[in-house]
Amino acid sequence: MNLGRLARVVTMLFVASFFVFPIIGFIAMAFRDADQVAAGQGGWLGLGGVSLDNVSHSWSQVNGFGPSGGLFVQWMQNSIIVSVGGALLAILAAIPAGYAMARLRFRFRRALLMITLITMVMPNTVLVIPLFLEVNAVNAIGELWPVVVIMGFFPFGVYLSYIHFMTSMPGELVEAARLDGLNEVSIFARIAVPISKQACVLVAFFAFVANWTNFFLPLALLSSNQQNKTVSIGLQELIGASPLFNPTVAAGLDVKLYMPQLALATVIGMLPLLAVFLGAQRYLIRGETVGAVKG
Amino acid sequence: MTTTLSKPLQAAPSQGRRTRASSETLGAWTLMAPYLVLLLIAGVVPIGYAIKTSLERSPTPLDPSSGFGGLDSFRTVVTDFRFVDTFLNIGAVLVVWLPIMMLGIVGLALLIHASPGRFGASMRFVYFIPGALAGIANFVLWVYLLNPSQSPIEWIWGVLGVDTVKQAVATPGHLPFVLAAMMFFQGVGSWIVVVNGGLNSIADETLEAAAIDGANAWQLAWHIKLPIIRPWIGYAALMNLAYGFQLFLEPQLLDQVSSNALPDQWTPTQLGYAFAFSNYNFPAAAAMSLILLVITLGIGMLIVFRSGLFGDEER
Repeated sequence: MNLGRLARVVTMLFVASFFVFPIIGFIAMAFRDADQVAAGQGGWLGLGGVSLDNVSHSWSQVNGFGPSGGLFVQWMQNSIIVSVGGALLAILAAIPAGYAMARLRFRFRRALLMITLITMVMPNTVLVIPLFLEVNAVNAIGELWPVVVIMGFFPFGVYLSYIHFMTSMPGELVEAARLDGLNEVSIFARIAVPISKQACVLVAFFAFVANWTNFFLPLALLSSNQQNKTVSIGLQELIGASPLFNPTVAAGLDVKLYMPQLALATVIGMLPLLAVFLGAQRYLIRGETVGAVKG
Repeated sequence: MTTTLSKPLQAAPSQGRRTRASSETLGAWTLMAPYLVLLLIAGVVPIGYAIKTSLERSPTPLDPSSGFGGLDSFRTVVTDFRFVDTFLNIGAVLVVWLPIMMLGIVGLALLIHASPGRFGASMRFVYFIPGALAGIANFVLWVYLLNPSQSPIEWIWGVLGVDTVKQAVATPGHLPFVLAAMMFFQGVGSWIVVVNGGLNSIADETLEAAAIDGANAWQLAWHIKLPIIRPWIGYAALMNLAYGFQLFLEPQLLDQVSSNALPDQWTPTQLGYAFAFSNYNFPAAAAMSLILLVITLGIGMLIVFRSGLFGDEER
């Protein structure tokens, strides 16, 4: 192995250690005991202090949070409702729209494509306050359905679908189907939909991840209703109830949320992301060059 | 909802067209309809409503009416004592973060590209993992890293003479660096994948030809690969620039975990949030969000029309 190659491998492993060790330490934190953490015991990355008993104690604290407990599970359910609902809506809208922009000629097609691209690359938080004003005007603050509808607007999904039909469905196929007397909607339903599985999975995956990790939109629309919070803003409430950061609030609670409990709640709150990632992995590798994940 | 939207749109094309073309138009608008409805609800209507709201007068206890207020709300926002500071703060973060981010993205993508086979692929995956911990999860992870009493990077805090989370983030000058580290950790991996995609599109023959001409790995990266992936680098830089303007979660929650030792409205988005949810001054909140919208819209248009990455599919 020559020197240049050695330097390259060492650099890459060095950088990797900065990503890996904090994450191992953080996951280990979810398995540790709060007193031991405070006492600085547990050894390297705390790996010496992990046990399942600690997890079951921590879970009883996390799950006990709320006026009658069980609030965390409720937040997980809400996250599933808005993330899955938003992703389904995104697929229903993105697949036909991407197809139409890729394979049909109509006025304003290019303008709509440009609008889609621009909204896709803009950070979606800039619209949250206007969206709050809109939802407030129809008296639906604190309800889940407006969040689902807003999450259904997913221009990156339309772009993915557009690229999919641009690259995997030849224009001649559409032309031939027209000669067979099929109308445009039937061509879409009978020819485009059956070959859209790859695009559907990609749209579903990226939409689900974006919805699950979305913080600002649920913060603005759902904060006022504790029962209807999603897990992302729920975690913020748990942090705010921790004796580490807010002793006054924490003193009034039956449960004690120290770092192991917060880490456990965070790790549980990320498990659905891991699940969809594993489920979509095969398709992600194939679609890797398609484009960026929106920030 | 679908029908109310598609009707006026269907009538739009000129009537003299052949029936084939008009049935294509009809089909296109039918297929576009669900997306257009969502675009209206989640894009056009809120922007229109924000413009209308920003031109209203904020009701006060003395004058509870909320009629037309002209540009008053924009004046309120721009002359707010925090307004300029929030942008300076974003500027400070960007000055620290963007160069590190771009260097990290491009450097690591090039290293991965120079390491074919299993090692390169597994490193790419390792760099990507923190990206999965986006948003609040990344934040809780950083609370763990930032707390000197339990952090695995305790030695860094020891060197800096920091004993508490509060000191770690609220010592003057620390915050841009802390935010840069958090955003780098969370964001660099997915961008490496994107830029790596650009590198993978370089034809093998190009690289082989350069190697035959005697180019070493370093020259190959500098003279061949970098110029070819310039559009991706520009895209990454502009996207991350736009991302900087929406900073909210990290400064807002860092304030929460450091006993409110930070300014409550440190970024423009936090300021807009405070107008809406602390002052209940909706016109000012709308005005603030429109200002941010114009800035990020400008960056967005630059990306779409100037990066050279979009529109190739359109022949």
